[in-house]
Amino acid sequence: MNPIVRWFHQLGSPPYFDRFAARWAPVAYVLAILVMAYGLWAALFQVPADYQQGDSFRILYIHVPSAWMSMFVFGLMAFYAAIALVWRIKLCEILAMACAPIGAAFTVITLATGSIWGKPMWGTWWDWDPRLTTELILLFLYLGIIGLYNAIEDRRAAARAAGLLAIVGVALLPVIRYSVVWWNSLHQGQTISVFGQSQMDASMLPPLFAMIAATKLWFIGSLLARARADNLRREAGKDWVLRLAKPEAAR
Amino acid sequence: MSYQSYVIAAYGVFAVVLLWDFVAPRIEIARQLRAARLRAARRTSRAAESELTRTDSERQVSE
Repeated sequence: MNPIVRWFHQLGSPPYFDRFAARWAPVAYVLAILVMAYGLWAALFQVPADYQQGDSFRILYIHVPSAWMSMFVFGLMAFYAAIALVWRIKLCEILAMACAPIGAAFTVITLATGSIWGKPMWGTWWDWDPRLTTELILLFLYLGIIGLYNAIEDRRAAARAAGLLAIVGVALLPVIRYSVVWWNSLHQGQTISVFGQSQMDASMLPPLFAMIAATKLWFIGSLLARARADNLRREAGKDWVLRLAKPEAAR
Repeated sequence: MSYQSYVIAAYGVFAVVLLWDFVAPRIEIARQLRAARLRAARRTSRAAESELTRTDSERQVSE
Protein backbone atom coordinates (compact mmCIF):
# COMPACT_ATOMS: atom_id res chain seq x y z
CA MET A 1 0.00 0.00 0.00
CA ASN A 2 1.14 3.54 -0.74
CA PRO A 3 2.76 4.95 2.47
CA ILE A 4 0.60 8.12 2.36
CA VAL A 5 -2.62 6.10 1.99
CA ARG A 6 -1.44 3.81 4.81
CA TRP A 7 -0.73 6.84 7.00
CA PHE A 8 -4.26 8.17 6.35
CA HIS A 9 -5.70 4.80 7.32
CA GLN A 10 -3.57 4.76 10.49
CA LEU A 11 -4.70 8.28 11.35
CA GLY A 12 -8.28 6.98 11.48
CA SER A 13 -7.32 4.83 14.47
CA PRO A 14 -8.24 6.77 17.68
CA PRO A 15 -5.10 5.81 19.68
CA TYR A 16 -2.85 6.62 16.71
CA PHE A 17 -4.59 9.98 16.22
CA ASP A 18 -4.22 10.74 19.93
CA ARG A 19 -0.47 10.17 19.77
CA PHE A 20 -0.25 12.21 16.53
CA ALA A 21 -2.21 15.15 17.98
CA ALA A 22 -0.33 15.09 21.30
CA ARG A 23 2.94 15.24 19.39
CA TRP A 24 2.19 17.84 16.73
CA ALA A 25 -0.17 20.31 18.47
CA PRO A 26 2.62 21.79 20.65
CA VAL A 27 4.89 22.10 17.58
CA ALA A 28 2.21 24.04 15.70
CA TYR A 29 1.60 26.29 18.73
CA VAL A 30 5.31 27.06 19.16
CA LEU A 31 5.69 27.91 15.46
CA ALA A 32 2.52 30.04 15.61
CA ILE A 33 3.79 31.96 18.65
CA LEU A 34 7.20 32.59 17.04
CA VAL A 35 5.70 33.87 13.77
CA MET A 36 3.04 35.82 15.67
CA ALA A 37 5.70 37.44 17.90
CA TYR A 38 7.44 38.80 14.80
CA GLY A 39 4.13 39.81 13.19
CA LEU A 40 2.88 41.66 16.28
CA TRP A 41 6.20 43.38 16.90
CA ALA A 42 6.39 44.56 13.29
CA ALA A 43 2.70 45.54 13.25
CA LEU A 44 2.97 47.62 16.42
CA PHE A 45 6.48 49.07 16.23
CA GLN A 46 8.02 48.66 12.79
CA VAL A 47 5.51 49.76 10.17
CA PRO A 48 4.79 53.49 9.91
CA ALA A 49 1.40 54.90 10.93
CA ASP A 50 -1.13 55.39 8.16
CA TYR A 51 -1.27 58.99 6.91
CA GLN A 52 -5.07 59.11 7.20
CA GLN A 53 -6.00 56.60 9.92
CA GLY A 54 -3.00 57.15 12.15
CA ASP A 55 -2.12 54.21 14.40
CA SER A 56 -5.67 52.81 14.41
CA PHE A 57 -4.82 51.10 11.11
CA ARG A 58 -2.59 48.71 13.13
CA ILE A 59 -5.80 46.92 14.16
CA LEU A 60 -6.01 45.49 10.64
CA TYR A 61 -3.04 43.21 11.41
CA ILE A 62 -5.28 41.16 13.69
CA HIS A 63 -8.63 41.98 12.09
CA VAL A 64 -7.87 40.87 8.52
CA PRO A 65 -6.14 37.52 9.34
CA SER A 66 -8.97 36.70 11.80
CA ALA A 67 -11.62 37.55 9.20
CA TRP A 68 -9.93 35.33 6.64
CA MET A 69 -9.67 32.54 9.23
CA SER A 70 -13.34 32.88 10.18
CA MET A 71 -14.29 32.02 6.57
CA PHE A 72 -11.49 29.54 5.88
CA VAL A 73 -12.31 27.51 9.01
CA PHE A 74 -15.99 27.39 8.07
CA GLY A 75 -15.14 26.12 4.58
CA LEU A 76 -12.80 23.49 6.02
CA MET A 77 -15.41 22.45 8.58
CA ALA A 78 -17.98 21.94 5.80
CA PHE A 79 -15.39 19.96 3.79
CA TYR A 80 -14.71 17.61 6.73
CA ALA A 81 -18.45 17.36 7.43
CA ALA A 82 -19.13 16.39 3.79
CA ILE A 83 -16.47 13.66 3.94
CA ALA A 84 -17.90 12.44 7.25
CA LEU A 85 -21.43 12.34 5.84
CA VAL A 86 -20.47 10.51 2.65
CA TRP A 87 -17.86 8.05 3.93
CA ARG A 88 -18.80 7.96 7.64
CA ILE A 89 -15.22 8.61 8.72
CA LYS A 90 -15.27 9.22 12.47
CA LEU A 91 -12.09 11.28 12.48
CA CYS A 92 -13.61 13.69 9.95
CA GLU A 93 -16.65 14.14 12.22
CA ILE A 94 -14.28 14.94 15.09
CA LEU A 95 -12.21 17.37 13.00
CA ALA A 96 -15.32 19.10 11.62
CA MET A 97 -16.73 19.64 15.10
CA ALA A 98 -13.35 20.76 16.45
CA CYS A 99 -13.27 23.47 13.78
CA ALA A 100 -16.46 25.15 15.08
CA PRO A 101 -15.21 26.76 18.34
CA ILE A 102 -11.96 27.89 16.69
CA GLY A 103 -13.86 29.48 13.82
CA ALA A 104 -16.25 31.09 16.28
CA ALA A 105 -13.27 32.49 18.22
CA PHE A 106 -11.82 34.05 15.06
CA THR A 107 -15.23 35.45 14.14
CA VAL A 108 -15.55 37.05 17.60
CA ILE A 109 -12.10 38.61 17.15
CA THR A 110 -13.10 39.88 13.69
CA LEU A 111 -16.32 41.47 14.91
CA ALA A 112 -14.81 42.91 18.10
CA THR A 113 -11.68 44.36 16.49
CA GLY A 114 -13.72 45.70 13.55
CA SER A 115 -16.05 47.37 15.99
CA ILE A 116 -13.16 48.87 17.97
CA TRP A 117 -11.62 50.19 14.75
CA GLY A 118 -15.02 51.46 13.54
CA LYS A 119 -15.60 53.71 16.52
CA PRO A 120 -12.80 56.21 15.79
CA MET A 121 -12.92 55.79 11.98
CA TRP A 122 -16.66 55.58 11.26
CA GLY A 123 -17.85 57.21 14.46
CA THR A 124 -19.90 54.18 15.48
CA TRP A 125 -19.28 50.81 17.13
CA TRP A 126 -21.72 49.01 14.84
CA ASP A 127 -23.61 49.50 11.60
CA TRP A 128 -26.02 47.11 9.88
CA ASP A 129 -23.73 47.08 6.90
CA PRO A 130 -23.83 43.99 4.59
CA ARG A 131 -20.28 42.86 5.49
CA LEU A 132 -20.78 43.28 9.23
CA THR A 133 -24.23 41.70 9.20
CA THR A 134 -23.15 38.65 7.19
CA GLU A 135 -20.15 38.17 9.46
CA LEU A 136 -22.50 38.30 12.46
CA ILE A 137 -24.70 35.65 10.79
CA LEU A 138 -21.53 33.55 10.38
CA LEU A 139 -20.98 33.78 14.15
CA PHE A 140 -24.58 32.67 14.76
CA LEU A 141 -24.05 29.73 12.40
CA TYR A 142 -20.93 28.70 14.32
CA LEU A 143 -22.85 28.97 17.61
CA GLY A 144 -25.73 26.98 16.10
CA ILE A 145 -23.35 24.20 15.04
CA ILE A 146 -21.69 24.09 18.48
CA GLY A 147 -25.10 24.11 20.20
CA LEU A 148 -26.54 21.39 17.96
CA TYR A 149 -23.48 19.18 18.44
CA ASN A 150 -23.74 19.44 22.21
CA ALA A 151 -27.55 19.10 22.34
CA ILE A 152 -27.71 15.54 20.96
CA GLU A 153 -26.39 12.80 23.22
CA ASP A 154 -25.33 10.37 20.49
CA ARG A 155 -22.03 11.91 19.33
CA ARG A 156 -22.20 10.46 15.82
CA ALA A 157 -25.80 11.56 15.22
CA ALA A 158 -24.93 14.97 16.67
CA ALA A 159 -21.93 15.33 14.35
CA ARG A 160 -24.03 14.36 11.33
CA ALA A 161 -26.77 16.91 12.17
CA ALA A 162 -24.28 19.70 12.91
CA GLY A 163 -22.23 18.76 9.84
CA LEU A 164 -25.29 19.14 7.65
CA LEU A 165 -25.82 22.63 9.06
CA ALA A 166 -22.17 23.43 8.27
CA ILE A 167 -22.58 22.26 4.66
CA VAL A 168 -25.71 24.36 4.19
CA GLY A 169 -23.99 27.34 5.83
CA VAL A 170 -21.21 27.36 3.22
CA ALA A 171 -23.61 29.29 0.99
CA LEU A 172 -22.97 32.28 3.25
CA LEU A 173 -19.23 32.44 2.47
CA PRO A 174 -19.47 33.97 -1.05
CA VAL A 175 -22.09 36.39 0.29
CA ILE A 176 -19.63 37.60 2.93
CA ARG A 177 -16.78 37.74 0.41
CA TYR A 178 -18.71 39.73 -2.22
CA SER A 179 -20.98 41.72 0.08
CA VAL A 180 -18.80 44.81 -0.44
CA VAL A 181 -19.15 44.42 -4.21
CA TRP A 182 -22.83 43.53 -4.47
CA TRP A 183 -24.17 46.19 -2.12
CA ASN A 184 -23.34 49.73 -1.08
CA SER A 185 -21.20 49.09 1.95
CA LEU A 186 -19.59 51.21 4.62
CA HIS A 187 -16.90 48.56 4.80
CA GLN A 188 -14.07 49.16 2.35
CA GLY A 189 -13.55 46.83 -0.59
CA GLN A 190 -10.60 44.52 -1.13
CA THR A 191 -7.29 46.28 -0.49
CA ILE A 192 -5.06 43.24 0.05
CA SER A 193 -4.37 40.56 -2.50
CA VAL A 194 -2.10 37.61 -1.72
CA PHE A 195 -1.34 36.84 -5.38
CA GLY A 196 -2.07 40.15 -7.15
CA GLN A 197 -1.27 43.81 -6.59
CA SER A 198 -2.31 45.07 -3.14
CA GLN A 199 -3.48 48.64 -2.61
CA MET A 200 -1.46 48.80 0.61
CA ASP A 201 2.10 50.03 0.58
CA ALA A 202 4.61 47.17 0.31
CA SER A 203 6.29 48.23 3.57
CA MET A 204 3.07 47.46 5.45
CA LEU A 205 2.57 43.96 4.04
CA PRO A 206 5.22 41.69 5.67
CA PRO A 207 3.66 41.79 9.19
CA LEU A 208 0.27 41.07 7.65
CA PHE A 209 1.54 37.99 5.82
CA ALA A 210 3.29 36.90 9.04
CA MET A 211 0.03 37.20 10.96
CA ILE A 212 -1.84 35.29 8.24
CA ALA A 213 0.72 32.46 8.54
CA ALA A 214 0.65 32.63 12.36
CA THR A 215 -3.14 32.33 12.55
CA LYS A 216 -3.01 29.31 10.20
CA LEU A 217 -0.39 27.63 12.42
CA TRP A 218 -2.40 28.50 15.52
CA PHE A 219 -5.44 26.93 13.93
CA ILE A 220 -3.55 23.69 13.26
CA GLY A 221 -2.43 23.51 16.92
CA SER A 222 -5.88 24.31 18.24
CA LEU A 223 -7.59 21.91 15.84
CA LEU A 224 -5.34 19.04 16.92
CA ALA A 225 -5.81 19.84 20.63
CA ARG A 226 -9.60 20.13 20.35
CA ALA A 227 -9.90 17.03 18.18
CA ARG A 228 -7.78 15.14 20.71
CA ALA A 229 -10.12 16.20 23.53
CA ASP A 230 -13.21 15.09 21.58
CA ASN A 231 -11.51 11.84 20.57
CA LEU A 232 -10.80 11.08 24.26
CA ARG A 233 -14.41 11.91 25.17
CA ARG A 234 -15.78 9.56 22.50
CA GLU A 235 -13.37 6.79 23.42
CA ALA A 236 -13.88 7.12 27.20
CA GLY A 237 -13.88 3.67 28.76
CA LYS A 238 -11.68 2.09 26.10
CA ASP A 239 -8.55 0.35 27.34
CA TRP A 240 -6.14 2.63 25.49
CA VAL A 241 -7.64 5.70 27.21
CA LEU A 242 -7.36 4.02 30.61
CA ARG A 243 -3.76 3.11 29.87
CA LEU A 244 -3.08 6.68 28.79
CA ALA A 245 -4.73 8.14 31.90
CA LYS A 246 -3.08 5.86 34.39
CA PRO A 247 -0.51 3.45 33.03
CA GLU A 248 -0.32 1.53 36.32
CA ALA A 249 -4.10 0.92 36.31
CA ALA A 250 -3.82 -1.23 33.21
CA ARG A 251 -1.22 -3.58 34.71
CA MET B 1 0.70 56.61 19.37
CA SER B 2 -2.63 57.98 18.15
CA TYR B 3 -5.83 56.09 19.03
CA GLN B 4 -3.73 54.15 21.55
CA SER B 5 -6.65 52.99 23.70
CA TYR B 6 -8.43 51.52 20.65
CA VAL B 7 -5.31 49.69 19.51
CA ILE B 8 -4.72 48.32 23.02
CA ALA B 9 -8.37 47.22 23.32
CA ALA B 10 -8.29 45.43 19.95
CA TYR B 11 -5.02 43.62 20.67
CA GLY B 12 -6.32 42.80 24.17
CA VAL B 13 -9.41 41.12 22.71
CA PHE B 14 -7.18 39.17 20.31
CA ALA B 15 -4.94 37.99 23.17
CA VAL B 16 -7.81 37.05 25.49
CA VAL B 17 -9.72 35.06 22.84
CA LEU B 18 -6.58 33.19 21.73
CA LEU B 19 -5.69 32.49 25.35
CA TRP B 20 -9.15 30.99 25.87
CA ASP B 21 -8.72 28.97 22.67
CA PHE B 22 -5.41 27.65 24.01
CA VAL B 23 -6.63 26.82 27.53
CA ALA B 24 -10.09 25.34 26.77
CA PRO B 25 -8.96 22.13 25.01
CA ARG B 26 -6.26 21.58 27.64
CA ILE B 27 -8.85 21.72 30.42
CA GLU B 28 -11.08 19.30 28.47
CA ILE B 29 -8.20 16.84 27.89
CA ALA B 30 -7.26 16.96 31.58
CA ARG B 31 -10.93 16.40 32.53
CA GLN B 32 -11.24 13.40 30.21
CA LEU B 33 -8.02 11.84 31.50
CA ARG B 34 -9.09 12.41 35.12
CA ALA B 35 -12.46 10.75 34.40
CA ALA B 36 -10.63 7.83 32.80
CA ARG B 37 -8.35 7.55 35.84
CA LEU B 38 -11.37 7.44 38.18
CA ARG B 39 -13.04 4.88 35.91
CA ALA B 40 -9.92 2.73 36.03
CA ALA B 41 -9.77 3.00 39.82
CA ARG B 42 -13.45 1.99 40.12
CA ARG B 43 -12.88 -0.92 37.77
CA THR B 44 -9.89 -2.08 39.82
CA SER B 45 -11.74 -1.86 43.15
CA ARG B 46 -14.81 -3.63 41.69
CA ALA B 47 -12.61 -6.43 40.41
CA ALA B 48 -10.99 -6.83 43.84
CA GLU B 49 -14.41 -6.81 45.54
CA SER B 50 -15.91 -9.47 43.26
CA GLU B 51 -12.84 -11.62 43.78
CA LEU B 52 -13.36 -11.50 47.59
CA THR B 53 -17.07 -12.36 47.25
CA ARG B 54 -16.28 -15.32 45.08
CA THR B 55 -13.79 -16.60 47.58
CA ASP B 56 -16.35 -16.32 50.42
CA SER B 57 -19.11 -18.08 48.46
CA GLU B 58 -16.73 -20.75 47.38
CA ARG B 59 -15.79 -21.25 50.99
CA GLN B 60 -19.50 -21.55 51.99
CA VAL B 61 -20.13 -24.08 49.23
CA SER B 62 -17.18 -26.16 50.34
CA GLU B 63 -18.40 -26.02 53.99
